[in-house]
Amino acid sequence: MSIGRDGIAGLVLLAISLVLLVKSFQLPSLPIVPVGPGFYPAIVLSFMAVASALLVLQDILKRAPVTVEAGELPRRNYRLVVIAFAIVGLYVMLLPLLGFRLATVLFVGLLQVALGQPRTIRQSIVLAAIALGTAMASYFVFERYLLVLLPRGAWTGF
Amino acid sequence: MLDLLANGLVNIAQWKYLLPLFAGTFIGVIGGALPGVTITMTVIVVLPFTYGLDPLAGLAAMTGVYVGGSTGGLIAACLLGIPGSPASIATTFDGFPMARNGEPGRAIWLGVWASVWGGLLGALFLVFLTGPLAAIALEFGPWEYFSLFVLAMAMVAGLTEASLLKGLLSTAIGLLITVVGHDPIGSVPRFTFGSEFVGGGFPFLPVLIGVFAFAQIMTDLEKLNGPRGQPVPSLVGVKLERFSHLGVNLEIFKRPFLLAWSTIVGLIIGILPAIGGSASSVMAYDQARKFSKTPERFGKGHPEGIIASEASNNANVSGSLMTIMAFGIPGDAVTAVMLGAMTIHGIQSGPLFISQNPDIAYGIYAAYILAHPCMLLICIALMPLMLRVTSVRMAVLAPVVLVLCVVGAYALNNTMQSVYVLLLFGVIGYVLVKLGFPLAPLILGLILGDQIEINLVRAIMTDPSPWLFLTRPISGGLLVAAALSVALAIWQHLRHQKRVAEEEPDF
Repeated sequence: MSIGRDGIAGLVLLAISLVLLVKSFQLPSLPIVPVGPGFYPAIVLSFMAVASALLVLQDILKRAPVTVEAGELPRRNYRLVVIAFAIVGLYVMLLPLLGFRLATVLFVGLLQVALGQPRTIRQSIVLAAIALGTAMASYFVFERYLLVLLPRGAWTGF
Repeated sequence: MLDLLANGLVNIAQWKYLLPLFAGTFIGVIGGALPGVTITMTVIVVLPFTYGLDPLAGLAAMTGVYVGGSTGGLIAACLLGIPGSPASIATTFDGFPMARNGEPGRAIWLGVWASVWGGLLGALFLVFLTGPLAAIALEFGPWEYFSLFVLAMAMVAGLTEASLLKGLLSTAIGLLITVVGHDPIGSVPRFTFGSEFVGGGFPFLPVLIGVFAFAQIMTDLEKLNGPRGQPVPSLVGVKLERFSHLGVNLEIFKRPFLLAWSTIVGLIIGILPAIGGSASSVMAYDQARKFSKTPERFGKGHPEGIIASEASNNANVSGSLMTIMAFGIPGDAVTAVMLGAMTIHGIQSGPLFISQNPDIAYGIYAAYILAHPCMLLICIALMPLMLRVTSVRMAVLAPVVLVLCVVGAYALNNTMQSVYVLLLFGVIGYVLVKLGFPLAPLILGLILGDQIEINLVRAIMTDPSPWLFLTRPISGGLLVAAALSVALAIWQHLRHQKRVAEEEPDF
């Protein structure tokens, strides 16, 4: 008996729903309301627990003939996704430190390089222009015209 | 009613509304035309720009995006053979063959004009039917609302391509997200684990933006295999042949039944919560082929296929707007963002929306109607640009879109908190998509969560008997319909025990 991707997903969701279900029973009840704050979450979580248990069961019962023709699917570049998420994470981390303008230039430049290394000088100039342009244009439009404030940098004050 | 509409039109015709409407429509057409950028993503990108505008101006811009996006997708559909946005999926079936047969101009303009007429026909229903629908909704007590929401969720979970169980689980995850934070009745903190980060709950828009935009962009990035992305065999940069607008219009009006029926199909799908343009386009195409005298020509560049798909996806917009205005439930993810934007401006949607905010309601009608001539003007004036825009690379688009997502989350209340929520749910959304969980049910759960709880508790506070949910006729009927739709989905899944290979997620 083996367990697949769906089974593992089901188990994780089952664990989450059971832990939270126990938590929901510990919530205090309110004197004026006939049902406490745990009533509705308990319904949702019970439903979720049953559905995830069924998903695990379905996965175990249906495992045998799953053969996906790996060759026919387009090759997927998961490395790029991990790098992209890491760069976004870095951007979010740097935003309050460097401020919107600097962090955005860095982010847009870095992500473009990660997605496609510029090969010629012209491509590098275009890349830099897009990075600078995005940061400047969004800053001016939001701060000057739309009165939307953007993060300032704690390190740079900019 | 017509004088209110006339007032709305005069109101929207002011520069302060017309400009955002025009800009929104323009961005919508461009976003729609870009493969990999959906209408939802375009509306998310436009969202932060609307924070500083007055509510109607912001909603006009978003309505423009919606209408423009529903049309823009056909350009990529005809030139690249891949839909620019999911709403144009069925346009590729006949648009691309027609374009390859040397008639790209006819293919594109048939689509544009069908969009205009389908959209405007849909406007009639929007203007005249939303009021009566809202009147029905006014009769609803908490029992009926609760049951209506349950029906909406059951339908959406049942309609997903993937497994029904995953659809239901996805709904439950959406509902669970709304439970975190203070409870809506007594403000008791729930599942916060003493953390300040989750103390206030997860704000709706950052979660929505994170789940949708990240899942979509990251899935697109997976396909960037080569260093500069894969070249697509396409007709980008093609010169349109000589053709006459009158001729194209005659082609459409020679088939009045097709136009009307596609519009109605689009409208109905639009009214149903959380299923959007792609379903309406495919269903209208299917219907057109069934009713056609020449079904064998479908798939080979038949004008009827293009007309059906494009008329219905624009009519779908009017249906979605009807649902949001009459019931306060978004018809799909785009209207969910619009609902979020309304909430930011303190506008309460729901059955009282039209009577309490007639200026805004009729303003939205007017914006929807005027967005069509705007879209037509943009297409006529800027078609050469549109023909090139489809070739913009993901490496350029992705960073810019992500910056705007971050701004959209940050500017909600000027804290980094929302940006962290955005990132967290970006990761969660992507993982869920990779595990084969559909996102539409999650979003619906997220949108309806609070309302479901409030109506459930309100019903129980009014009368503790749980049987009322079944014995009140409308409520009972809705619950039976919900059970039937789940049963139908199970039956369908049993019938086609097809293997679900890795499929494109539907955003």
